Amino acid sequence: MKTKQSTKAGAPASFVSNNGDDLKSVSSQTLVDAYEKLRDQSEPSNGSRTYPKLCVLHGTAFEREKDRREVREWASRCPAEMQKWYEEARHQSCLWWLKNHLVAKRALSSCIACGVCTSQCPAAQYYGEYNPRAIVDAVLSEDEDQLVALLKSDLLWYCGQCGSCKPMCPRENNLMGLISSLRFLAQLKGYHLYSVRGRQQYAMRHLCGGNLWNRACTLYFRNPVAANHPDFGPRYAQYHSQAECQMVRVGASPDRPGQFGGRKLPPETLTEFRSCVAGGGTLALWNQLEKSASEDAEKKGLSIDEYHDRVNHEG
Amino acid sequence: MAVAATIPLGTIKEIPENDFFLTPSCILGVFNPGSEVLIGRIYDLLGLRWRAAGDRAESQCTCCTGFSSHGEVISIESTLLVAARIWSIAAELGIENITTACVTSYAIHNECLEMYKHEPGLDERVDRWLLQACGRRLHFPKHVVHASDILYRYRDVLAEKFQHRLVERRTGQPLRVVDHVGCHYAKVFPEKSVGGAEGCDVLAAMIRAWGGQTVDYPERRHCCGMGFRQCAIRPNRGYTMACVLKKLESMEPWKPDLILTNCPGCNVFLDKEQWAILQMTGKEYDIPTLSYTELAGLLLGWDPYDVVGIQSHTVPVEPLLDKIGIPFDPSKQWFSETSGA
Amino acid sequence: MANRVCIIGGGVAGMQVALVLNTLGISSLLVEKSATLGGRVPLLSKTFPFFNDDGFNDGKEFTDALERDLRSAPLSEVRLNTMVTDVEGDFPNFTIRLSDGSSVQAGSIVVATGFTPFDPTSLKEYGYGDYANVITATELEWMLNPRGPTGGKLLRRSDGKPAQKLAIVFCVGSRNRRIGAPFCSRICCSYSTKQASTVMERSPHTLVVCFYMDVRTYDRGFEEMYSLAQERGVKYIRGRVSRCKQLPDGSILVRAENTLLSRPFSGEFDLVSLSTGMRPCEHADELSRLLGIARGPDGFFLCREWFRHPHDATRDGVFLAGCATGMKPIRNCMIDGAAVAARVAAVLRDTASLPFPRNRVTTNLVQPIPQTFSISSERNMYDSSSFPKGETHGHHNS
Repeated sequence: MKTKQSTKAGAPASFVSNNGDDLKSVSSQTLVDAYEKLRDQSEPSNGSRTYPKLCVLHGTAFEREKDRREVREWASRCPAEMQKWYEEARHQSCLWWLKNHLVAKRALSSCIACGVCTSQCPAAQYYGEYNPRAIVDAVLSEDEDQLVALLKSDLLWYCGQCGSCKPMCPRENNLMGLISSLRFLAQLKGYHLYSVRGRQQYAMRHLCGGNLWNRACTLYFRNPVAANHPDFGPRYAQYHSQAECQMVRVGASPDRPGQFGGRKLPPETLTEFRSCVAGGGTLALWNQLEKSASEDAEKKGLSIDEYHDRVNHEG
Repeated sequence: MAVAATIPLGTIKEIPENDFFLTPSCILGVFNPGSEVLIGRIYDLLGLRWRAAGDRAESQCTCCTGFSSHGEVISIESTLLVAARIWSIAAELGIENITTACVTSYAIHNECLEMYKHEPGLDERVDRWLLQACGRRLHFPKHVVHASDILYRYRDVLAEKFQHRLVERRTGQPLRVVDHVGCHYAKVFPEKSVGGAEGCDVLAAMIRAWGGQTVDYPERRHCCGMGFRQCAIRPNRGYTMACVLKKLESMEPWKPDLILTNCPGCNVFLDKEQWAILQMTGKEYDIPTLSYTELAGLLLGWDPYDVVGIQSHTVPVEPLLDKIGIPFDPSKQWFSETSGA
Repeated sequence: MANRVCIIGGGVAGMQVALVLNTLGISSLLVEKSATLGGRVPLLSKTFPFFNDDGFNDGKEFTDALERDLRSAPLSEVRLNTMVTDVEGDFPNFTIRLSDGSSVQAGSIVVATGFTPFDPTSLKEYGYGDYANVITATELEWMLNPRGPTGGKLLRRSDGKPAQKLAIVFCVGSRNRRIGAPFCSRICCSYSTKQASTVMERSPHTLVVCFYMDVRTYDRGFEEMYSLAQERGVKYIRGRVSRCKQLPDGSILVRAENTLLSRPFSGEFDLVSLSTGMRPCEHADELSRLLGIARGPDGFFLCREWFRHPHDATRDGVFLAGCATGMKPIRNCMIDGAAVAARVAAVLRDTASLPFPRNRVTTNLVQPIPQTFSISSERNMYDSSSFPKGETHGHHNS
């Protein structure tokens, strides 16, 4: 068993309160082991409704650093076919992507610029400068510079993926899928760093990606704390403060084995799930996001955690 | 011979009648857990055969990654693999019909199925990757429907079991209910929804069958604004609020008593943003929002707090219960102790 | 050999075939399923592009003139309220059974069965059938006709008040792959412009807005009609209408994007008229089977050769005139009728020398148009024993 070398990080149990910089010197294996140990709490034996001392791991710098390392190692240990594909794809042109990415290649056939998509796009109504036709135009122009400019702009990130455009298009274009595909490309190439809304993807990676990697679920019931959701009002704050009891009450299983959302998964399930995620090449994206975030953070003179917080609040 | 329409007129959606595998929802689990558990309870009430993650062996079922996919933090191939894994679990249990608790899941599963039709060789590749990743094989389900399709199908059967109806108790007038169908249910694959994108009837039919009347207003088919990354990242949330406000302003002249949803995300934001809107505009819309299972649970006479979980809603639902004549004990809302975390 | 020609359909094209055959000394029997001749033209409040083309003030004046000529043509016989129930034999000896119980011999058959306007009820986004003030172009036309229900006045259908604001929506049911109608119906831009222009001429203070994707006023005189409409004050906004919703007072809220200005448009109108595209005639399926002639993917009848035999159907001795092969303006139906009559005359004169192109069907329209997929609810499409490949051509009932 390795002894930790750091002078900054405390005992493993206190990793939770450390930030990314403190943990840099701790070995990956120690991080992962500590995390796993802290994660698996046994069920309350006294029959009370709540776990009295459940360790808060989600949303911490500790979890992020652990994820960073674990994902990097997993990716290099057994790189999946699709992972390699994505790693190579980022060196190709945008035009290449449009012709080869599974979603992009079938998304667009032709456009008559009739405007039916824009006329009822909620994002076009809210963001005055946004127009989905502009995205179609850039793609159909087949002009690499124009595409790069699009990928670097905020315009790419306004779409809410509602799909209101999809049943309307007389040429049966899939604008929703096209935008999703382009967003993926923007992150692979690091173009997302050029726009405020693009940089937010780093926060998305850890919010959703962290939940996926550690809990096989995109949203975790402990995530939306009232402080982060002042728009939800005091009733929500009250509910969330007792979320666990309320969930048990209606028959859900928060952090317990059982059915439905919030449940704890057996380790075998999580491993299978991680393998599926890795098998599809997502780790290439996550590694790339980490790399570009750390470069951007350094450029701006911020620690990685400060950077993470900043992109979560900018805009 | 005419060109086949993508949406042939008069297509009636085929909804299986029994034997379901129920997949969970991320958002319901977080914000309205009662709504999700109710699906199982209602299936039981209807005497349907279904499986989910009922015991430890079955809690193999994971999220479909839909939210992450639309938040662009996961690749499409990963989503294909995760979906294929879920299908293989259903197949192991001998179940061909998948019902999803979440509308985004519904669209994701269908999107995956569609891709196999258009991309030659994709099936072989995914099968190979799935085998490598977790030793499972690709097996297509026969049907993928949303849980609201099942309640739609059995709406009359349920109505007979109801103790209450969507009627104002004092006057006998049908309540005015806004049907807000999730975008990913009706718009992504309109031909796979009940009634298509514009004339979607899945919730409207329930409302009519259960005694209420629907409301048609200009922004009826407008998205609630959840927007995945738009609601997840705080600076973007203005978009979500604006969409909710737009809908509320548009429906207001019709004085609706209730907003009925079938999408977990819509159920959250149409309800919770009303508080923020009150703060910012001073206007209190006070329109309670319920999911189709929550409404069914209430009309069945199940306990509003212990079973349905209306306390998870921001806009109080109690006034609606009064209108209908459903008894409730407001002291049961909150617990005195808080959860430790 | 039977020298007579059987013409199926008593619209303007069918009547013209009979008239010209008469001048060529050939007898014909015109069979019309309804009680009147003229097809859809008598409904028209005006013809275009000149609005009183040839001095006829409306559609009925024109068809009345045709009918008078037809009745005084010695070689032509007309039977109303009659349909074709069976066809036996081959060129040049067809035996045609009719719904009145009789049967006739004919050397050739001309199909002049016209079209049906698309029914927009299925396009829920426009609200036709749900909202009183959303009407079709056909209903607008009849409303504008002094012979019609409002004596030519533009009124809101919800409460009978005068309509001050009219929206005309182009391309309803056309140019839409999603509903299996990728084609253009060709004359809707023109007839819509005619309608808009008529409204403005009668009451210059009306707001008339045409929502278009393109303005295809392509023929001689049509562009001039378009400029005249604009000079009269008709507004044209380039944007496909996405939705029509009813407001509490019955007015209709119309949403589109003004794509030339990249601005959203949202406006309230008293009346919304949907310029519907065209579909093949009601009995096209049946006729196609009865006569043994092919139709294209757009549902209209196919010709043998695109350039040299555009009126020959895909069976010897059967010919096509008018809108049976696709929408066209009245003038072109008349031209068609004359051309077909000449073709039939030539064919009947010299039956021995194989006047028909052999083994040729125009391939122009028969190529499958790439589409997404076709739905089959009968079988399990995802049978794991045979992974499906992408389908490029599916067929459903029209």
